[in-house]
Amino acid sequence: MGRYDFRPMRVRQTAKALFDSKRIPGLPQWYDIVGDIPPGETLARPVLRAPTPKRAKKPSRMFQPLPIRYPEDKLRSEFFGDHPWELAKPRLIVEDSGNDAKGYDWSKIVQPGKQLDGESVVQRQLWLMNNRSLSQAAAYDVARREFYKHRHLEDIRRRVAKEEALHVGAYFGKGPLEVGMELEDRTWENWKSWASKQIEDEEAQRAQMFSGPQTETEISETDFDAAIEEESVPLAKGAPPL
Amino acid sequence: MIIRHVAARGSYRALVQNRLKQFRRFFSEVTSIEATADSSVNQLQALEGQLNSQTAFSVPTASPDTQAAPLSGSVAEQYHKFKHLEKHFGHLGSDISPHYQPHALLNNPPSPADVTLELLLAAEAHQGHLTSLWNPANARYIQGIRQGVHIISLEVTAAHLRRAAKVVQEVSRRGGLVLFVGTRDGQDRAVVKASQMAKGYHLFERWIPGSITNGQQILGKCRTKVVNEKDEEVPGFEEQLYDRPVLRPDLVVCLNPLENYVLLHECALNNIPTIGVIDTNADPTWVTYPIPANDDSIRCIQVIAGVLGRAGQAGQKQRLAAAQQGHITYRAARDLRLPEEVEEAISPEVMNKLEEGMLDDGNGLDEKLDQVRNRERSGRTLKQMD
Repeated sequence: MGRYDFRPMRVRQTAKALFDSKRIPGLPQWYDIVGDIPPGETLARPVLRAPTPKRAKKPSRMFQPLPIRYPEDKLRSEFFGDHPWELAKPRLIVEDSGNDAKGYDWSKIVQPGKQLDGESVVQRQLWLMNNRSLSQAAAYDVARREFYKHRHLEDIRRRVAKEEALHVGAYFGKGPLEVGMELEDRTWENWKSWASKQIEDEEAQRAQMFSGPQTETEISETDFDAAIEEESVPLAKGAPPL
Repeated sequence: MIIRHVAARGSYRALVQNRLKQFRRFFSEVTSIEATADSSVNQLQALEGQLNSQTAFSVPTASPDTQAAPLSGSVAEQYHKFKHLEKHFGHLGSDISPHYQPHALLNNPPSPADVTLELLLAAEAHQGHLTSLWNPANARYIQGIRQGVHIISLEVTAAHLRRAAKVVQEVSRRGGLVLFVGTRDGQDRAVVKASQMAKGYHLFERWIPGSITNGQQILGKCRTKVVNEKDEEVPGFEEQLYDRPVLRPDLVVCLNPLENYVLLHECALNNIPTIGVIDTNADPTWVTYPIPANDDSIRCIQVIAGVLGRAGQAGQKQRLAAAQQGHITYRAARDLRLPEEVEEAISPEVMNKLEEGMLDDGNGLDEKLDQVRNRERSGRTLKQMD
């Protein structure tokens, strides 16, 4: 074929051809080994995956890999749809032996060696549906409430741990509220300086437009009081004061 | 305030350390170790007096000798003390087993018989790439699609890995040169360990293009040696080795074929069988023995390299055991003569890496060889100058 280079697959045949045409003095020492342990099939089409494909009737689509689906997937989407912030919790997905899930007993929601997670809720729910013959909704409620209880306990532990740490002399960095307030203050100061600069610019522009004497916008408090109490100044000669 | 609370709880050591830290803040000069030890001992004694006056129970006194002992003991004493403590207290605490220990895969890799689907799953060998980035030639190796990525079938991986391990074992048993190549970050330790076990060669930096096709230029200055069947070097062949062509590997194991296309192409041009870790976006026709697995996971690479290294180790053991019995499992090198050039010295006991028949001198080949050697020798002195 044009696009493919089969020389790596055909090393043994090439060696034999070279030896037969006396290009090399002897067969290579791996000749028997590659003969005894032949390479696997390459570029072989996989077995028929979907005998009756749903959408495409094209033959090429019938041999493509199929999605892997589990019954827990629906339960997972339901749980994480109701509790989206559980997706933000950090997860450790490193497996120890590969058989980690073998020793789990889902008659309890907390398993040794496994984080309390949305996954444990789903597995507990499935166990209740299969072993206690509860409906999906009932099992979901039972598992969910156990999960909430354990999360509440975790919260209490966290709060008590912080109090104990503060008591024996620990100090913490700035909390999110403090950091937020600082950012807001900084933004406010920036805005204030920008706004005062804008005011100055506008006044300078206005001063350029009018050529008359400029009245001072700010006067001292005593002058202001004096201006207000200046009743004795008549508007015109002979007119009574206002 | 704080002192009374903590002392009432009974944590004497924390209290002492707290107070010592406060005192140490006022040290402006740099003092020697003994001076600080003496001053801290004095502070300790002052503190003891204070506590004894305040609290109901009497605080045990600390003598300066016990305080100064850990500082002035010799290294050997400290080591023995550490070992003693480890023996008595090392087993305390919780035991998490079976626990993933990253160093165990490098220091004690699994053998081909230990390859299980669970091991490959834990090593994340099943993780392929995005479905849109696949190479359809790998369709046979793929189990299905999950979360938008292809999942490699672990049974297929295990079968191909065992096959490749058998090839490495047989090539090692027949005394072939195996080259382990892994040029990505984090693959160097696995590659080196595998080559050490299989008594092969390793490469974890960039492959210099032309090392096989233009080998005489690039690798011509590398030292070669003649070894006997027990892997002992046999001296006296330097003249003959100087004229010989550069060595080529008999088998190349590549842990990241996507970055090493040039190496694999050179092997194909020179008819060298190759083994490679083929991901879902890699081309399986580039290598002779593909191992469909995840080449982006360092844990998976360590498992695969470890298994192949162990197979090579087994092959080497078989070869040396056969050599001890007197049975050589490989063909000797061609065109090598004994350094003494004495025909009657070849006895059945002297089993060097030689052919049985000597070169025939009848057609004046010997003179020609001498001429070539003289010319080469003058060239050699020039070469040694740079």
